[in-house]
Amino acid sequence: MQFLQATIIGVSLGAQYALLALGFTLIFGILGVVNFAHGGFYMLGGYVAYSCVAYVGLPFPLAVLIAVLATAALGWVFELFLLERLVDDHLATLMLTLGLYLVITTGAMSAFGPLSMDFRFPVGGSLHVGTLYLPWQNLIVLGVCLAAIGALWLVLFRTDLGRGLRALADDRAVAMAQGLRPKLLFPMAFALATGLAGLTGALVTPILSLSPGVGDPVLATSFLTVILGGLGSLEGAALAAFVVGLVEAFSSVYFGGSIGALVLFVLVLLILVFRPTGLLGRTVRGA
Amino acid sequence: MKSTLLAAAMMALPVSAFAQNCEMKIGAMGPMSGGAAQWGLAMLSATELAAAEVNQTGGVKIDGKMCKVVVVPYDSKYTADGAAAGANALAAQDIHLIIGPVGAPEATGIKPVAARNDQIAWNASYARNALETKYPLMFHIGPGPGGWADPIIKRAMKEWKFSSVALVAPNDQGGTDTAIVDAETYRANGIKTTEEYYQRGTTNFEPIVTRILASNPDVVDTASSPPGDAGVIIKQLRLAGFKGPIGRLGGPGTAEILRVSGGLDVVQNFYWFETIPTGNPKIPEIDNLYRKLLGKDPVGGSAVWADLPAARLTLKAVQIAGTDDAQKVAAVLRTLPVEDPNIGQGRWGGKKQFGIAQELEFPFGIGIIKDGKDLGVTQQDPAAE
Repeated sequence: MQFLQATIIGVSLGAQYALLALGFTLIFGILGVVNFAHGGFYMLGGYVAYSCVAYVGLPFPLAVLIAVLATAALGWVFELFLLERLVDDHLATLMLTLGLYLVITTGAMSAFGPLSMDFRFPVGGSLHVGTLYLPWQNLIVLGVCLAAIGALWLVLFRTDLGRGLRALADDRAVAMAQGLRPKLLFPMAFALATGLAGLTGALVTPILSLSPGVGDPVLATSFLTVILGGLGSLEGAALAAFVVGLVEAFSSVYFGGSIGALVLFVLVLLILVFRPTGLLGRTVRGA
Repeated sequence: MKSTLLAAAMMALPVSAFAQNCEMKIGAMGPMSGGAAQWGLAMLSATELAAAEVNQTGGVKIDGKMCKVVVVPYDSKYTADGAAAGANALAAQDIHLIIGPVGAPEATGIKPVAARNDQIAWNASYARNALETKYPLMFHIGPGPGGWADPIIKRAMKEWKFSSVALVAPNDQGGTDTAIVDAETYRANGIKTTEEYYQRGTTNFEPIVTRILASNPDVVDTASSPPGDAGVIIKQLRLAGFKGPIGRLGGPGTAEILRVSGGLDVVQNFYWFETIPTGNPKIPEIDNLYRKLLGKDPVGGSAVWADLPAARLTLKAVQIAGTDDAQKVAAVLRTLPVEDPNIGQGRWGGKKQFGIAQELEFPFGIGIIKDGKDLGVTQQDPAAE
């Protein structure tokens, strides 16, 4: 039974990590930018949803939708007016995204204070089958995460926008020669990724907790996942997210919280030793 | 005649004008971000209040000049390196007196650095070596778990019948130092005890909750887990179907725990160590005093009240010593009786546990929530030395 419980937890964690990692790797794959503000967008998604529920009285699903739109809009504006000018300067983009993260966290700290908010998921209780349990909120978040992953796949692989974004990721020079416009597509890619981070934050922070520091571990987990999956690889990020979720769940359940964290890092280390490009990564980025 | 007129003019100046002649900076240190932020911000609020009280009466006299007390905060992030860096950063601003830090890793980090910088520091940690004879400028806001764990466990055993407990805490010194003493005390009371540790920074405790519940404990105790972590653990324990009481033989933070976990309806049965007997009506008056003097709300809940006597005593010692030199202030501090206008009478302790009687000990509180009802906090004297 413990095995099944660990599997349920691992899949649930994996779906959340996948949403975060897909956004993170999308930005790297298409723009070649490591987005250090990714955790900030997660946290911001939580605060926007919280504000909509607590101060405006909106229903939770609408608050989540507004959080997605708000984080996507901020990502779009940030890319268009700041990042775009220096998009090929890796150090400058690193400093810009890190700076944005500090601005977001300090802004949240000033507006809401350093302590956790009273932000609750609207659905409580758990589904119990024998000794197994599955909180309804986890089930709903899992469903939304899987639907979002599916929607992202449709956008990227079944629309002109997706084809354009993937072409820019494969080889920017050739894609531009074919008439694709990075100045139009880069902000859209950034907005798509930050919207995903905002969606995860709006869904997950009421299940865990919401305070200005909740973005820190998100950045670490996203980084770990995309490195394991192969920087820039969407399929790799999705696969690695579920690997990380399952390893985290099984190692913590069977070995405890201390050794569990160690197992995950040892596994990532070993994979990178024997496969430096990650699970599904390529040797060279085309963009 | 001229000098008489000058003296009269000086007398006519408002008190605050004397305080503007110079500034005496005092540090307030602790985690001011992350899951333990409440504890560090409490240290800051307590120091701000003590400074405001002194400034209201004209400030402190340093080398014959009346000086305004200015509080300089430092976020030591519940880490040893954070506290060590903080001591240096404050020393660079000529600060000799630090109210804080909070956690055991911070206490470990600050001790040698503050000693080298000739700084007084007041740690509020539950470290087993919170004080050491080789660091005589270190003072302690106590008592530690050795002083309060036993009476709380005995009270909990009266409220609920239980024979086993699972303790859960971070796997660093801040977590283990408290959890080990808690575990020894539970065992001494005949309770079967298991310990479960997690990496600080963990955000989702579901795997750990699953592991804890596999041992089928009657009680789960969140020990010195930061309040934010404890709230998530309790929420996830209840979602997993755990119905037993939940203990907290660790730091304060019940308000934050209730906020994160979902409130009294979720927590249901809970017993905890409260650093101060909050049932005493003079103690919550501290918050009103803070609002009156500083024009805003204090941050940190009951921990503000527990930290305040250390800040007040330190500034009183500065007044008497007439300097902020750490050695001279420490010498005065050791001779001061332990009493606080809001908290009441206390004592200097720590000789038995640490070999040095520089621990500030006041009565503490035992809080109980039963069947979703907050039964309040009752006063309890710390165990005798």
